[in-house]
Amino acid sequence: MITISPIERILRGIAITLVILFFMFPIFWIFLMSFQTNETILRVPPSIVFEPTMSNYSALITGKLETNAGLLEFEFMRNLWNSFFLSVSSVAVGLLLGVPAAYAFARLKFRGSEDIAFTLLSFRFAPPLLVLLPLTIYFQQIGLANTYVGLIWVYQLIVLPLILWIVRGYFEDIPADVEHAYRIAGHSWAATFRKIALPLAGPGIAAAGLLAFIFAWNNFIFALVLASADKQPVTVGALAFVTASGIQYGQIAAAIVLSITPTLLLALYAQRYLVEGLSLGAVKG
Amino acid sequence: MNGIVLENLSKSYKSETVLDGVSLTVPEGRMLVLFGPSGAGKTVLLRCIAGAVDPDAGKVVLGGVDVTGFEPEDRGVGMAFQNFALFPHMTAEENIASPLKARRSTKTIVRQGVDAVARLLKIDHVLSHPPKALSNGQKQRTSLARALVAQPHYLLLDDPLRNVDAKLRYEMRLELPRLLADQGATVIYVTQDYKEAMAFGDQIAVLDGGRIVQAGTPEDIYLRPATIGISELFGDPTINLLDVVPERDERGIYITLSDQRIPLGDGYDAAVGKPCTLGLRPEALAFTDLETGIPVVIEAETPFNEKTVTLALTKRGREVLVSRPAGMPGPAEGESAFVSVNWRALLLFDRQNGQRIVPEGESGRTEAAA
Amino acid sequence: MTDAVLDRVPRRRVRISRKALPYLLSLPALLACIGILIPFFTAVAYSLQRYRLSQPWARKWNWGENYLNFLSDPSFWNTLQVSMTYAFLTVGIELLLGLGIALLLQRRTRFNNFVSIMLLMPLMTAPALASLMWKLMTNPGFGILSYFATLIGIEDFRWASDPSTAMLTVVLVDVWVYTPFIMILLLAGLRSLPRQPFEAAALDGVPRLFVFWRITLPMLTPFLLTATLFRMIESIQQFDIIYAMTQGGPGDKLTVFQVEAYLNFFQSTNVGRSAALLMILWVITYLLSNIFVKNWLRLREKQRGAI
Repeated sequence: MITISPIERILRGIAITLVILFFMFPIFWIFLMSFQTNETILRVPPSIVFEPTMSNYSALITGKLETNAGLLEFEFMRNLWNSFFLSVSSVAVGLLLGVPAAYAFARLKFRGSEDIAFTLLSFRFAPPLLVLLPLTIYFQQIGLANTYVGLIWVYQLIVLPLILWIVRGYFEDIPADVEHAYRIAGHSWAATFRKIALPLAGPGIAAAGLLAFIFAWNNFIFALVLASADKQPVTVGALAFVTASGIQYGQIAAAIVLSITPTLLLALYAQRYLVEGLSLGAVKG
Repeated sequence: MNGIVLENLSKSYKSETVLDGVSLTVPEGRMLVLFGPSGAGKTVLLRCIAGAVDPDAGKVVLGGVDVTGFEPEDRGVGMAFQNFALFPHMTAEENIASPLKARRSTKTIVRQGVDAVARLLKIDHVLSHPPKALSNGQKQRTSLARALVAQPHYLLLDDPLRNVDAKLRYEMRLELPRLLADQGATVIYVTQDYKEAMAFGDQIAVLDGGRIVQAGTPEDIYLRPATIGISELFGDPTINLLDVVPERDERGIYITLSDQRIPLGDGYDAAVGKPCTLGLRPEALAFTDLETGIPVVIEAETPFNEKTVTLALTKRGREVLVSRPAGMPGPAEGESAFVSVNWRALLLFDRQNGQRIVPEGESGRTEAAA
Repeated sequence: MTDAVLDRVPRRRVRISRKALPYLLSLPALLACIGILIPFFTAVAYSLQRYRLSQPWARKWNWGENYLNFLSDPSFWNTLQVSMTYAFLTVGIELLLGLGIALLLQRRTRFNNFVSIMLLMPLMTAPALASLMWKLMTNPGFGILSYFATLIGIEDFRWASDPSTAMLTVVLVDVWVYTPFIMILLLAGLRSLPRQPFEAAALDGVPRLFVFWRITLPMLTPFLLTATLFRMIESIQQFDIIYAMTQGGPGDKLTVFQVEAYLNFFQSTNVGRSAALLMILWVITYLLSNIFVKNWLRLREKQRGAI
C-alpha cells in the first residue's frame, strides 16, 4: 500500500474538486437557468437564489412561447418526439440488421468476412458530409428527402457499426462448444441462434442498443442536412430555437435540459457498458 | 457396414494439418477408444463426425448413410464434451431435456427420459440447479446425461473424465463401461490417459499427428506397439529406451547391455547390424541375485500402490526404470544390484524410422507374458 | 425411455446451405450500407466536376481543377490550418487532462467510481447542445462565464464572437465534452494493468515519478494510442460544436473542413469545391483510421485474451 502524505491528499482533493466543478457546473447552471425568468437571468451579479418558475417548461410543452415580439408558435415537443422516434426506430432497425450480421461475422467465418466487417467499421470514421451531401440530391430524386425512412436509413451509419462490433465481441465470447452441443442435441442453427446465442449475448445486445440510442439521439449533422423543421430532432431544433429572435433564455435552457435528460439517464443506467461501447468493443470496462 | 465408418478424413487449419487421412471403422454396438497425446487431432475428429466441423476431404458414414455435409442436428449423434459445454442459462434438467425436446417429444416422455438418466447417473437431486451451481463431477454427469438421454445410436465422448477429480474419475472408470454397454450404442471414446484407454477399450486406435498410427486391442498396443512413439505413450512408468546394435554369433542373435550378452529371440535376422532402439518395459526387468545380470547402482525408489519403481544406473551411465510388485523386497538406495532381462518381453525398434521390428513368425496372440 | 419418438437415424433434411448462411445473415446489413457507398462514389465524381447548384447548365468535368485550385486558394489553406489547430489543441489538452483525471481516480473507491460516472455526463450530452449551453454561459449580456471574466479583471470578454478568442471558446467546449472519453478509456486501461510491477516497485522504494514514466506510461501506451487516434479522427472532422457555436465565424476563423464544405454546398452552392474539400478530409481520416484500426485490433485482441 502506498502511503499518501497530507499535502498530497490536500492537492488531490483540490484537483478533484476543480475537475468536478469544471465538468458539472455547466449542466448545473443550465438546469438552474431553466427555472428562471429573463428577469432573474439578467441580474448582475448573477445569483443562485431565485424563485423557481415552471413557466419555461409549460411554454415549451404547450408550444406557445411568449417573446418580446408577441406570441410565437414553436413546436419543441415535436422535435422531442422526432428525436425519440428517430432514435428508437434507428436502433430497432440497426439491431434487426446488425445482430444477425454480427453473428455471421463472429461465428460463421466466411470468405471476405473480415474485409466486410472493416468496411462497415470504416463508415464510422469517414466524414459524414461526404455521404450526406450527395445523398441530399439523391433523396430529392427518389423521394426520401425529409422522410423518416430516409433519416432512419442514414442513421444506420452511426448505429450499425456500433452494434455490429460490440455484439460481435459478445458472440465471440460464447464458447463455440455450447452452440455445437445444442446443434448436436438436434436443433437447427436458427433455434441455436434464438435459444443459445441471443440469450447469452443478451446483455451485450442491450448495451449496444442503449449506446446506439444515445449516439442517434445526440446526432446533429444528419438531420441538419436532410430534415426540415417538421422532422428535425432536438439537436437541430434547439439550434433553430436559439437563432429565433426574442426567445426567453430560460426557455432555451429548459429546452436544452429536456433534450439532454434522456441520454444522461440512459448513460447512468448503461454506464457499465459505456467504456466498451465507446471504444467499439476494444476495451472492457 | 453399420456402425461408424470414417474414410480418409482430412482437415487443415491454415497451413497446419490436423487430420491427415484418418480411416476408422467401429462396428455397430461396439466401443472404440481413441487414444492420443494432446494436439493429436482427437477433438477435431469427433467434431467432424458430429458435424460441428466440416472435413476438407473424406467421408463420415453412420449406419451406412454417408452423412458428410449433413447438419449436426440431422446426424442422430450424441456427444459429451471435455469442457462439458453445458448451456449456462438453463438448469441441469433443461440441459438434459434439450435433445428430447428437439425431437418434439411429449412432456411425459421428456420427464421420464430425464428422470431415468438422472437417476442412473445419480444427479436427480441437482436437476433444478443451473450449471454454475454444480460441482465438476455433477457437470460431467449432466453433460453425459445430455448425450445419453435420447439414446443415440452413435455416441461420441470427448475425454469426459479429464476435468473431474481423481476419486470420481476412478469411480466412473468402473461405472462407465457398463453404462455404455447397456446403451447398446456405437461409441467412440476419446482419452489421453492410457490407463483409461486400457480399461475401456474393446479396441483402441492411437491417433498421433493427425494419423491413426495403430489400432488393435489394448494388449496388442501395449505388448506390440507399432512405433517407439506408441510405446512411450502407453505405460506408466514409461518404457526404457536404449540404443543397441544387434549382433550375431554362433549362439544366435544378441545385443550387448553393460557388457552382458542378452539373447534376442528368433526371427530378428533382419535387424542384425542395424542401429536399433531397445524398448524394455520396467516390468520386463527384475532384480536378481545372479551375477549374470546387468550390474547397476540404485539411485532412487518410488513406491506406487501396486508396484515399486526403482531408478537404477548401469555402469555405462544409462538410467533404467525397474518395477516390481509392491511388497516384494528389493535392494535399497545406493546399493549395487543385478538386473535381469525378460528377453521375451523386449521390443526392438528401427532407430531410423521408429517402426518396431517385428520378429519373423510372431503370431497375433500372446506368446510373451509380461 | 421410449424409442418410438426418437429419430436416431441420420436423415438429411432440406436446409439452407451452410455456405450461403453467413451471407444471408449479413446481407441486409450490407445492403443498407451499399446505399451509403453509392453517395460516396458520387462525391468522388462531384469533386472532379465544375458543379454549382446555382448554375446547373455549366456543370462539366474539370478533373483535377478543384484540387489544383486549392494550391493557390488562401481560404483552403486557412481551412487546413484551422482544422489542424483545432485537432491538435483539443486532442492535446484532452489527453493531458484525461490522463491526469484518470490517475486521480485510479483507485477503485466508491467515491472515485461515482465521480467517474458523473464525469461521463458531458460526454453523453449532444455536442451541438453542449455548444448551446456554453453559448448561454458565454453570452456577453448575462453569461456566467463572462461575469467570471469581469471578476478577474477582464472586461468585455467576448468569447466566440471575438476572432481572437473564438478558437479558444470552441476548444473549451470540445474539451468539456470529450475529455471524459479519454479519461474513461485510460481509467479502464490503468485499472487493467497487472499489479505486480507496481507492488515490486513500491517494495523497492522506487520513486513514484520514475514508476510513472518507466512502468505506468509504457504499459498504458496502447490505450493512449487508441484514445488519441480515435479522438484525432473525430476532432479533425468536428462540425457540431463549431457549427452550433459560430457557424464557422467570426469571418473564416473557424471554417474547419466540414463546416467549410457545408457552407460551400449550401451557401455558395459550389458542389465541386465542397466535394473536393471532403475528399481531402477523407484521405486524412482514412490514413489515421488505418493506423487506428491496427492498434485497436491489437488492443482488442489483448483485452479479450486477458478475460
